[in-house]
Amino acid sequence: MEAIINHKNYRQSLAKFQSLIALFLLCVVISLLSDKFLTATNAWNVMRQISVNICISVGMTLVVLTAGIDLSVGSVLALCGAITAGLLKNGIALPSQNLYIGFTIMGAVLAGLLAGSLLGWFNGWAITRFKVPPFVATLAMLTIARGLTMLWTKGFPITGLNESFAYLGTGWIIGIPLPVWISGFVVFVAVIITNKTRLGRYIYAIGGNENAATLSGINIKKIKVIVYSIAGVLAAVGGILVTSRLDAAQPNAGTGYELDSIAAVVIGGTSLSGGRGTVLGTVLGAIIIGVLNNGLVLLNVSPFWQQVVKGFVILIAVIIDKANSKND
Amino acid sequence: MKRLAAIKNVFAATALICLVFSSSCQSDAANDGKKKVAVIVSTLNNPWFVVLAQTAAAKAQLLGYETKIFDSQNNTALEADNFENAIASGYNAILFNPTDADGSVTNVLKAKAAGVPVFCMDREVNSTEAATSQILSDNYSGCVALGKYFVEAMNKKGNYVEILGLVGDNNTWNRSKGFHSVVDVYPGLKMVAQQSADFDRNKAMDVLESILQAHPDINAVFCGNDAMASGAYQALVAAGKANDVKVFGFDGSEDVVNAIKEKKIVATGMQFPKVMAETAAEYADEYFKGKKDFPQKMPVAVELVTQQNVDDYTGYGKKEGNK
Repeated sequence: MEAIINHKNYRQSLAKFQSLIALFLLCVVISLLSDKFLTATNAWNVMRQISVNICISVGMTLVVLTAGIDLSVGSVLALCGAITAGLLKNGIALPSQNLYIGFTIMGAVLAGLLAGSLLGWFNGWAITRFKVPPFVATLAMLTIARGLTMLWTKGFPITGLNESFAYLGTGWIIGIPLPVWISGFVVFVAVIITNKTRLGRYIYAIGGNENAATLSGINIKKIKVIVYSIAGVLAAVGGILVTSRLDAAQPNAGTGYELDSIAAVVIGGTSLSGGRGTVLGTVLGAIIIGVLNNGLVLLNVSPFWQQVVKGFVILIAVIIDKANSKND
Repeated sequence: MKRLAAIKNVFAATALICLVFSSSCQSDAANDGKKKVAVIVSTLNNPWFVVLAQTAAAKAQLLGYETKIFDSQNNTALEADNFENAIASGYNAILFNPTDADGSVTNVLKAKAAGVPVFCMDREVNSTEAATSQILSDNYSGCVALGKYFVEAMNKKGNYVEILGLVGDNNTWNRSKGFHSVVDVYPGLKMVAQQSADFDRNKAMDVLESILQAHPDINAVFCGNDAMASGAYQALVAAGKANDVKVFGFDGSEDVVNAIKEKKIVATGMQFPKVMAETAAEYADEYFKGKKDFPQKMPVAVELVTQQNVDDYTGYGKKEGNK
């Protein structure tokens, strides 16, 4: 048993190692081609830009570790960002009851996070209660949440939010952008959960072998609902960050983010069949995508080629992942 | 098994309730002999098109028709479904905003074969035989005008960045080509980077932040739509360069018109979605009343909005009263 565990850890660290090497090579190549790449401002730009993807991708990692998938993160991000922005700007007004409820920043942010957790909970409930495959349940939520966003915003961006709210996405604390602090905190908590808690062990167990996990008495349904709820909350965190950074909640925000997030998870060495992977691997994956996006723009590569290059990077990552799991 | 059946019942009941609820939400009055007008729009994922679709539907309703908006979600196949459904459920005319100049032609021909007149709004279909009339926004000429103003505002020299929309979209290139047809004549104006941000505010901010690292000394940014212009401005604010770099957009969105008033953004090309939508609805009305010859193409000029004339404009059109 001990030997097997060690072997597994070794494989995981190898996967992490591969991502690190890939990131290193990428940085070397870009910095040889552009002298603007290796500067502090640019590094902070990249970190700030990827902090949203990191938040979402950490949630996605937990989901994928249970052998699930969450396609709804982009829409949930948009809806929660819009809810926060709408409450902050307009509050809730019920003219018929002569009622008006205003929201502080804290209140609006909490409402956004609550909405995210409810949407995630709904995903988990549909998946565990009715045995809907995660792909289908979250695909449905992708549409539902996007539709609700349209209803809530009536199809128009909510702009002109207040300046203290913008601080969340644009501020700095001790020389580090606030979004980076927030995503760093998310990563820190997720690393603790996956490595040090019972919840974390159960997540790996479910993804590794669901039947075995059931037989050993793990409440699979409960764990899955928790995991999808976490993914929902983290999508909401991303939504609030995007909204604050742009000083606007766009009804079409987050379109396609599920793909960026799945790409980060996969590049980071987490297996889509579950049970194998790490949060830190995903962070590396997100950094690789961020550096790639940044580098391609710095080098003024044609937008057509950018898509081709990004596609190949994801493909190569999955091929490496496959080669790894074959050895297991 | 029993439990499964129970679940099925619950679902069926829920679905029924949803249907009843959503149909009760519709604003359609009794359809006794009322003619029906369908509005088929390329996407509702962009405020500009929401204005276009809602204005068309509102105007047709005002003229006494029953209306419904169909969303093609930028998907020509879904658009074909929308056409089939509209024709099958007896709509008498279609106010249409195509997803694709070539791909949408067969859909329009299908309606024509079924005797349903189609009036195109904003974007054209590449056929003069298909639609009854096309009321079009001239993106190319609009960007020629914007390009001329750009040259003037830049005093014929300086480095600039172009942020393109979706690279698979006709209008991205119509706008870009119109702009370059003027600007490229001046050797003093140098484009140091050309990148795409998919018409998206957030992506435009990210892209410009990266570009500013490579080219901190740019003098202007030309964006293929106003959402990207807003994002670009946000990136310049974050980099502390908002006062040094001139931002140009295109569309005439409310945000950008306000930003021009506040002297944050230099200029935009105002398209007139409301005018186009209302004209299309009026044409359909005239068609029902017997008129059959309409201009095949009816261009609606794009107007340049600058800090000098911005007071005449509001989001998506001219101020009421001087339309």
